Amino acid sequence: MRKYLEVIKILFKTQITYRFDVAMTVLFTFTRILFAYVLWGAIFDQREVINGFTFPMMLSYYIFSSFLSQIEMSDGVSGEIAGRIQAGTFSKYMIIPLNTQGYFIAQTFGAMAFYFIFILPVTILWMAVLQLGFTITGSFSVILVTILMVLLGLLFMIQLNYFLGILAFKFQEISIFLMIKGNLVAFITGTLVPLHFLPQDLVSVLRFFPFYYVTYLPSMLLIGKNEEEAFTGLVVLSVWLAVFTLLNHFAYNKLRVIYDGVGI
Amino acid sequence: MKRNIRFIATLLKMKLSRMMVYRLSFFGGSLVDGSMFLLWLLMFQAIYSQVDSIGGWNKGQTIIFLGTFSLLNAINMTFYFFGVIGIPNKIRNGELDHYLTKPVNPLLRITFENMNPGSIPLIFLSIGIISYGASLLDITIHAATILLYVFFIVIMAILYYDMEIIVRTIPFFVISATSIERLEIAGLDLCMRVPGVLFRGVLKVLFYFVLPYGIMATVPTQILTYSISGDMIFISILVVFVFSVFTLWFWKLGLKHYKSASS
Repeated sequence: MRKYLEVIKILFKTQITYRFDVAMTVLFTFTRILFAYVLWGAIFDQREVINGFTFPMMLSYYIFSSFLSQIEMSDGVSGEIAGRIQAGTFSKYMIIPLNTQGYFIAQTFGAMAFYFIFILPVTILWMAVLQLGFTITGSFSVILVTILMVLLGLLFMIQLNYFLGILAFKFQEISIFLMIKGNLVAFITGTLVPLHFLPQDLVSVLRFFPFYYVTYLPSMLLIGKNEEEAFTGLVVLSVWLAVFTLLNHFAYNKLRVIYDGVGI
Repeated sequence: MKRNIRFIATLLKMKLSRMMVYRLSFFGGSLVDGSMFLLWLLMFQAIYSQVDSIGGWNKGQTIIFLGTFSLLNAINMTFYFFGVIGIPNKIRNGELDHYLTKPVNPLLRITFENMNPGSIPLIFLSIGIISYGASLLDITIHAATILLYVFFIVIMAILYYDMEIIVRTIPFFVISATSIERLEIAGLDLCMRVPGVLFRGVLKVLFYFVLPYGIMATVPTQILTYSISGDMIFISILVVFVFSVFTLWFWKLGLKHYKSASS
């Protein structure tokens, strides 16, 4: 465990080198909130409540989902693994005395922790600037469950991206696939529009998949909605985590033997 | 002019032969951007299942807006995007020398040397989205309106190009313009999803006249749906003209500041 903590610390410190990237990422939290403010502001001009949401509720939803999607930085895992396999430099991760998947989990949490420190105050600042009766649950237990769900969700996304990354052992060029995945994930995690607005049959199906619980449900819980789904969310996420832990273990052991370390 | 067209055709042939080496990536751009616009279409479908209009725009108008931005993006990706994005690197590592010493306008060559025919399917997808949006409207669109729409698509594609060149000319004067490029992405990302008619006050001034991404798809959509004023037509033509003149002037000024490999 100490070795992984060391990786987290190193990655945390490394982010200081990329101060500008951090500043821009933090700044771009704003554009998502601005999108919600302009679009939903026009929609709520005509009605006070739409599909159970008021305007402050909707803005709060976008502030939370924007915050969660900004600190969810696992996209880099698949990109880095695929890039290094293509270039023949993945050997670096094979020779370090750590479990490869564990290393990437620690690496991503290190970077996330750094961004968390900066994005949190900016998010709070936006709450203050908008001054629109910000909505947040008053239940301490719901907040605790949400934090746990967010952690499980982040862990799942790292595992998913790790799995996609190691597919490059077999398919080499997967960047197009990763970009399409990024578009799709933005939609099914509810970052573009609350999933509540989609047809109910589709939402029922999505409840069986982990993406529902990565950004959407935590954001809904934080604005005081869907509390009855919290426990189910933890169970579904845990099951998917277990599945992907096994899947990644077998996939890595099976695929790494076809890696030649030369690159293309 | 004839010589330039022959030159562009040669660049296209060379690019096609290079692209055939990586056949799997050929339609990559179309697949990525096509999936993005289809998901945005779903997003607006979901919103319009609850409301009749957004800022006075009905579902048909918004879908035409999305299709129009998708079309502009497709034109950008097909013809000049992959050439223009390389400018900052060429300035930084002195590679621009090779372009300046050739007997061809350097900007013309950079613009068209990386055309991407793999994005052409995106043009057809966009036309499909626009047609779907138009079918939802209870109006008859005349041939003259379609011609005016096509004219505005062409000039807005020029405006799109102008904005890309302006942003990528800045590295002539500073070491890195990464922040400006990210600002461009953020502005585009916002204006691709939010029709310009929804902006008010400072945001309207910003996205109509300073970073005019807000008018690119909005004005052609307003033309096709008969919801534009004569003033707005005139203003948008003026904006394109001013930005085009500025782009050429700024590029030439940048070239004067170019210090080869030491830039």
